Amino acid sequence: MASRLSDGSGVSRRDLIRLGAGGVGFGLMGGLGPVPYVLAQASRATAASTSGKILVVFEWFGGNDGLNTVVPYGDPMYYRHRPTIGIKERELLKIDAQFGWHKSMRGIKQLHDEGKVAIVQGVGYDQPSFSHFTSVSYWHTAAPNSGNEYGWMGRTATALDPSGARANMIVNITDSQTLAVKGANHVPLVFIDPTRFQRGVFAQEKAALDSLSAPNVPVGDAHRYVMEVTRSAAQASDVVRAAWNKYPGRNNPDLRLLDLDKVAALIEADFPTRLYYVPLRGSLFDTHVNQASPHDRQLEYCADAVAGFFQEMKRIGRADDVVMYIHSEFGRRVPENTSLGTDHGTAQVNFVIGNGVKGGLYGTTPSLSNLVLGDNLETTTDFRQVYATLIEGWLGANAEQVLGQKFERLNLFREQESHA
Amino acid sequence: MPNRIKWSPGPAAWTDDLTPIASADWNYDRAAHLLSHAGFGGTPSAIQKLAEMGVERAVQSLVHYESIPNPKLQPFVESGLWDPTLNGFPESRPEATDRAIKAGASMGIDVKPGGNRPIQPVSDRFFYWLRATMLETRRLGYWWANRMLQTTHPLEQKMALLWHGHFATHENKVRDYRKMMQQIDLFESYATGNLRELTIEVAQNPAMLYFLDAQYNVKGAPNENFAREVMELFTMGVGNYGEKDVRECARAFTGWYFDNLAFKIDPAKHDDGPKTFLGRTGPFDGAQVLQIIFEQRVTSEFLAAKIYRFLVRDELSADLKARLGAILRVNNFEIKPLLTAMLISKDFYSAASYGGHIKGPVEHFVSMMNHLGAEEIPGVPDFNQSTIAMGQNLLNPPSVAGWAGGKAWITPGLLIARGNVARDVLAPDMTGFRDWNFAAGSDGVLGSRLRDGYDVGAATAVGDPRNMSTFDMVALERDEQFNTRISGYIGWQQAARKLIPTPRRPAQIDLTRMVLEGEAKTTAEAVDYLLWRMLRVPTSTATRDTLVDFLTKELGTDSVVRARSYMEDALRMTVHLIMSTAEYQIA
Repeated sequence: MASRLSDGSGVSRRDLIRLGAGGVGFGLMGGLGPVPYVLAQASRATAASTSGKILVVFEWFGGNDGLNTVVPYGDPMYYRHRPTIGIKERELLKIDAQFGWHKSMRGIKQLHDEGKVAIVQGVGYDQPSFSHFTSVSYWHTAAPNSGNEYGWMGRTATALDPSGARANMIVNITDSQTLAVKGANHVPLVFIDPTRFQRGVFAQEKAALDSLSAPNVPVGDAHRYVMEVTRSAAQASDVVRAAWNKYPGRNNPDLRLLDLDKVAALIEADFPTRLYYVPLRGSLFDTHVNQASPHDRQLEYCADAVAGFFQEMKRIGRADDVVMYIHSEFGRRVPENTSLGTDHGTAQVNFVIGNGVKGGLYGTTPSLSNLVLGDNLETTTDFRQVYATLIEGWLGANAEQVLGQKFERLNLFREQESHA
Repeated sequence: MPNRIKWSPGPAAWTDDLTPIASADWNYDRAAHLLSHAGFGGTPSAIQKLAEMGVERAVQSLVHYESIPNPKLQPFVESGLWDPTLNGFPESRPEATDRAIKAGASMGIDVKPGGNRPIQPVSDRFFYWLRATMLETRRLGYWWANRMLQTTHPLEQKMALLWHGHFATHENKVRDYRKMMQQIDLFESYATGNLRELTIEVAQNPAMLYFLDAQYNVKGAPNENFAREVMELFTMGVGNYGEKDVRECARAFTGWYFDNLAFKIDPAKHDDGPKTFLGRTGPFDGAQVLQIIFEQRVTSEFLAAKIYRFLVRDELSADLKARLGAILRVNNFEIKPLLTAMLISKDFYSAASYGGHIKGPVEHFVSMMNHLGAEEIPGVPDFNQSTIAMGQNLLNPPSVAGWAGGKAWITPGLLIARGNVARDVLAPDMTGFRDWNFAAGSDGVLGSRLRDGYDVGAATAVGDPRNMSTFDMVALERDEQFNTRISGYIGWQQAARKLIPTPRRPAQIDLTRMVLEGEAKTTAEAVDYLLWRMLRVPTSTATRDTLVDFLTKELGTDSVVRARSYMEDALRMTVHLIMSTAEYQIA
C-alpha cells in the first residue's frame, strides 16, 4: 500500500495517528494505551491484525428480491414464474447472455464493469426461516436455527483484538443497536445523527459532568452495562462530531449516500474502526404488494449510495482499504403473488465490493425449475462461507474461532492469501 | 433533615423466591421500588401512602384499580382531520392517482375537467392525509403520555404500554390515527384483563388487520404474515411450531378483514376446510386457532416472561419462567393473579430486582415528571421529539417485534440523548423552540418559492430559481397530470391548518420548594434529598461529593436556606447532572 509510510517498526504512520500518537485528538478515546505501549506491542503480528482493512456491512433489511436485482433473463422459467412482475430483457443492463442488472442498479453495475463487484448467488442457510426478525437474528449471530448472545461482527472484533484494548472497533450507524455488533469486549459506537451525538451542557456543568463517568460498584449486570456505556459515550461523542463537521461530502448535494455518509466521514477522519455496520433505514424492500415501484426506487437509492461511497473512498485515498458487503435477511419467493408482489423467500444474491475484490459471479446459480420448500430457491452457498471469506480473507482474523466451525471460503479477494 | 430509610434491597437469597414478603419487610423504600416498577415512579407522598397501606393492600391497590376514581383523565380531542371519503385510503400515491384516472375522482376529490395538472388536487389529497394522520398521531402520543402521568391507575398504563410494544403496529404503515387510538383503548381496557381474550381482540383489531396484511389473506391465496407473527411474537416464540403450522394457521384467519373501524368476516373468502394445526385437525377459524395456541404450555411461559421482563428485571431463570407460566395457566390467563404474585414476592424485592431494569424512554420521560413534581407533560421540549431522540417513537415501534428493550435502550448516543432531554426539560429553550408540527421540513423550501411568486416548474427546480433567467424559468414549466413534490408541500399546509396546536408550556417545576420542603438546610442535604427522591440505586460517593461541590460553588454558600431566593437554576443543573448518571437510567 503506497499510501502508508512504514517506519520499520511494523506500525505505519497511519496506525500511529489512529492510535493517538499523531496529535489529532484520538487520545480522547478510552482504552488506548500511551504511545510507548503501542510501540511495545508493535510486532509484525500485531501490525497484520491492526492493518487498515475495513469492512462495511450494508444490510438491505426487508428481504431484497434478488431475482429482480440480478435478473436471470436467459432462463425462460423466470418469466413463467413472474408473468407480470418479471423484468423485460430490453429493460435490463446486460451482464452476459444469462443475467442482467435491474436498471436501477446502474451505480453498482459501473463498479462491476470495473471488476470490483463479486456477485454471490444462492446465499442462505438450511431450514430457512421466513420471518424477518428470526432470519435477521440468524444472520446477525451467524447461528441459524440456534442463537448466540453475541453478533458475528462483535465476535470478529474479539478475534481481531482479544483484550478489547482498541476503542471504537465497531461503529453501527442506526438508532437502535444491531445484534450483529454486540460483542463481549467491545461496546460498539452506535449513532445515527452526529449533530445530536453530544451532551448539551452549560459551561459551569462541564467539569462535574465529566466526573459522572467515575466508576461505581455495580449493583448488577444492567448497572454495569450502563456505566460502561456512560464512559465510552463521553469519549466518543467529541470525535464523531469533529469528524462529521470536517467531512466535505456532507455539503455535496450530488452525493446521496444514505447513511454511508457517516461511514465516509469517520474513515476520512482516520477512525480506528475496522467494522462498520449500516442497516438500511426506511426500507422498501419488503415488496409484498405492487412491487415494481418501491423496488425500483429502493434499488436506485442503494446502488447510487454505494457508487457515491466508493467515489468518496477514492477521493479520500482509502479505496484499497475498504470492502463493502451487502446482504438481506432472505430473498423472496420465486413466483409472484396475487398482489403483484413477492412473499418472503430463501436464498438471495449478495454483493462484495471493493478494489481488493475479484469481480465476477460466485457460487452455483440456483435452479428455477427445481424449486424447494414451496416455490423457493435452493441455497447453494451458506452465508457463513461469505462471512468466513470476509473475516479471514479480508480482515485477517480466524474465521473458525468466530463462527465456531470451519467453512469453505470463496476465492474472491485479489490478495487473499497474503491476509489469511 | 429526617432520618430516611435509604435504599434497602432484599437479600440475594430472595432471588427467584415467589413467596410473599413478610409485613415486617415492608417499608418506604420497598414501596418506592414497587411504584417505580409497577408504574412510573411517584412523589414521596404517593410512595408514603403505599408504604402505610402495608404490602398486601399496596399491591392490591395497584392491581385492582377499577374502583379508584381517575378524575384527571381527559378524552382525546380530535382535530377533525378525517372524513368518510378517506375510508379505504389508497396504499400508495400511484394507486391514488390511478383511481382518479380510471374513475374521475379519488378520496372525494374530482379530477379537473381542463387545464394543466388536472389530477393535482387528488395527489394533494393523498399527501394531506399522510401528513394529517402523522401529525394527529403525535398529538395522540402526547395525550397518552399525559394519561400515564396523571392516572391514579399507574399499572394500567404501564401494562397498556407493554401491550402496545408487544402487539406492535405502527402508524407509519397503518396510516390512520383513529385505529391507533382504538388500540390504546383496547390495551387500556385489557391491560390487566384476560390475555387470551386480549389476543383475540388484537387479531380482530383494524390496525393489526391492516398492519399484517389481513386484506390479502384470502381462501386459496393465504397471506402468512399475521399467522406467523401471532405465534412467533405474540404467543409462543420461535421454535415451537413448524412452517406447516404457519400455513394452516393463515388459512384459519382467511376472510378476516375490517371496514373503517369495524372488524368483519367475509365468509366467501374464508377457508372453512379442515386444518391440521399443532397436532389437532378440524375446520378451525381464527378464534379456535388462538384457543389451541393458548392450550400450549409454552404460550403461558412466553407471555409470563414477557410481563416479568417488562416490570421486574431483564434476566430471569428458566425455572422462574416455568413457575410464572404456571400461575398464568392455572388462572386461565387472567393477568391480575400473576401480577399480584410477582409484585408481592420476595423475588421482586430481592437485590437482583433492584436496578435490574433499564427504563424505556417513554417510561423514563413520564417518571422524570414524577420525580420533578411536574403535573403535566411539557409542551417544550416536545414529548415525541424527546422520546424519539432517546430511541422510542410511541405509536411507531420499529417493527412488529416492538422495541427490543433492556440493554438495547442504551448506546452511547441514546445515553447522551437522555441527558439532553433532561436538560431540555429542566432548562427549556423557550425562545429557540420551533414547533415541528408546523414545519414542512424540506418541503418548506418549495413552499417559500411558491409564495415568492415562482411557478411550479421553477419552484421544483433543482437549482435556485433566483439565479435563473426568465427564459430558463419558462422552459421549466411543463404540462403534466400532477406534481407530487408540490403535493408534498400542500399536504403539510392543508393538514396544519386543521391541526389543534399542542400547548407549549414547559414543565412546571419548583425545585427550591422541593428541597426546602424536604427539610434540607445545606447543599449536602439538598443533594442527598434529590438523590434519594430520584434514584433507585445509589451513586458512588465520589459522584455525590462532586454534586455537592458543584451546588456549593454555584450558590456561593453551603446553606440552601441562605441561597433560597436564587438557587432554582443551580438546583436544576444539579438535577440535570443526576439525570445524566448511569444510576438514573435503571430501576
